Amino acid sequence: MTTAREAGLARCSSCGTLTNRPGEKCAVCGAKTHTRRPNSLLHVWAFWIAGVLAYIPGNVMPIMVTQSVAGDSPSTIIGGVITLIHHGSFEIAAVIFIASIVVPVSKFIIIAWLALSIQHGRALNEHRRHLAYEAVELIGRWSMIDVFVVAALAALIQVGALMSILPGAGVNAFAMSVIFTMLSAMSFDTRLIWDASISKQELQNDEH
Amino acid sequence: MKGITERIFHRQRSPSKARMREIDQLNRSLMACPACDALWERPTLAPKEQAKCKRCHTTILTNKQQSAERTVAFMIASLVLYAVAISFPFMRMERSGLSNEISVIDAVAILANNSMVLLAFICAGLILLFPLLRILLLLFVGLSLFRKQSTARPHALSFRLAHMLEPWTMAEIFMIGVIVSLVKVGKLADIYLGPAFWGMAALIVIMAFGASAVCRDTIWHDIRRVS
Repeated sequence: MTTAREAGLARCSSCGTLTNRPGEKCAVCGAKTHTRRPNSLLHVWAFWIAGVLAYIPGNVMPIMVTQSVAGDSPSTIIGGVITLIHHGSFEIAAVIFIASIVVPVSKFIIIAWLALSIQHGRALNEHRRHLAYEAVELIGRWSMIDVFVVAALAALIQVGALMSILPGAGVNAFAMSVIFTMLSAMSFDTRLIWDASISKQELQNDEH
Repeated sequence: MKGITERIFHRQRSPSKARMREIDQLNRSLMACPACDALWERPTLAPKEQAKCKRCHTTILTNKQQSAERTVAFMIASLVLYAVAISFPFMRMERSGLSNEISVIDAVAILANNSMVLLAFICAGLILLFPLLRILLLLFVGLSLFRKQSTARPHALSFRLAHMLEPWTMAEIFMIGVIVSLVKVGKLADIYLGPAFWGMAALIVIMAFGASAVCRDTIWHDIRRVS
């Protein structure tokens, strides 16, 4: 089995057309063609760091402030989950907890693990890594749920009534964190996982 | 001035006929896996058949039937539902004599007015703008392929953009967010769902069907043939 790169070809990442002049603009769709995404891991790490940095204020700062006659009560993501548990809405608490805590944190870990495994040339199972990447791509967007919850609450419960809900600064940071993490995952070129498997095979062939 | 115009025209010049033939020849016989770059002979698929990469098991080729026609049908339906989803009231809240009715656009406007401009922009883009743009682009591509018009360059650009927008259309996530927020305020106030709520719910379902009707391989193949 050969790869397109070994055959001197590049697949346009946008329309799938093969070209025999890598680096040229795709004749069909006009996108720039590459055998591999240039500086893929550099972009992955840049967006990853931005994502992690934004995630911290996203969790520490309040995502919404409830104003009532009793005064202002800010609440963070975790605070919101705990309130839901107190009210007995366990399912909703689980949805928010998974979407806002479990998914982003496991995304950070998986992306870092994939990037490191390539940088250090670890001989890990390619299929497993590929599956992990696909899971990250598929589930990552759903972290936005809490942002939309706050947006809907703020729009619905407004000034004038006895109580009003305002979005907090944390929700901006959290939304940016989700966007950066999505960009980080998108920057990752999955072909790198399989390139490593080829160099591993070659290594074994040399040894024998 | 001359230099600028030359550069623009140079950029817009499409590849020569000979080059297009060369590319076409190459792509008739070979294809590469998008996920692992393995090079395979291009299989000929029966209707509704799929080809998977032998190395990484990613689906590399599909052959959906009447892709352009079905895409057009779903996109027209989406456009109608989109109009319903943004123009009618989304939900109404009643609490101790006070009532508050909002549409999706109101929701975004309230965020912008409460000095949450960034959040308002993010919501406007992900819920309103990107889905609309994607519907229109796919409608344009589907419609002109369906009518066999030869405007290859705009097709290619639109289809590329429509695919890029796919992960950034989050209407379905917004709906889940709304449902969660309903549970949160359910005890504080009476909530009534408006026609826009059901419009958007239907829009999400139709857009999902629309996305699965799009056969990227067939459409790119058609675009390639037209150009």
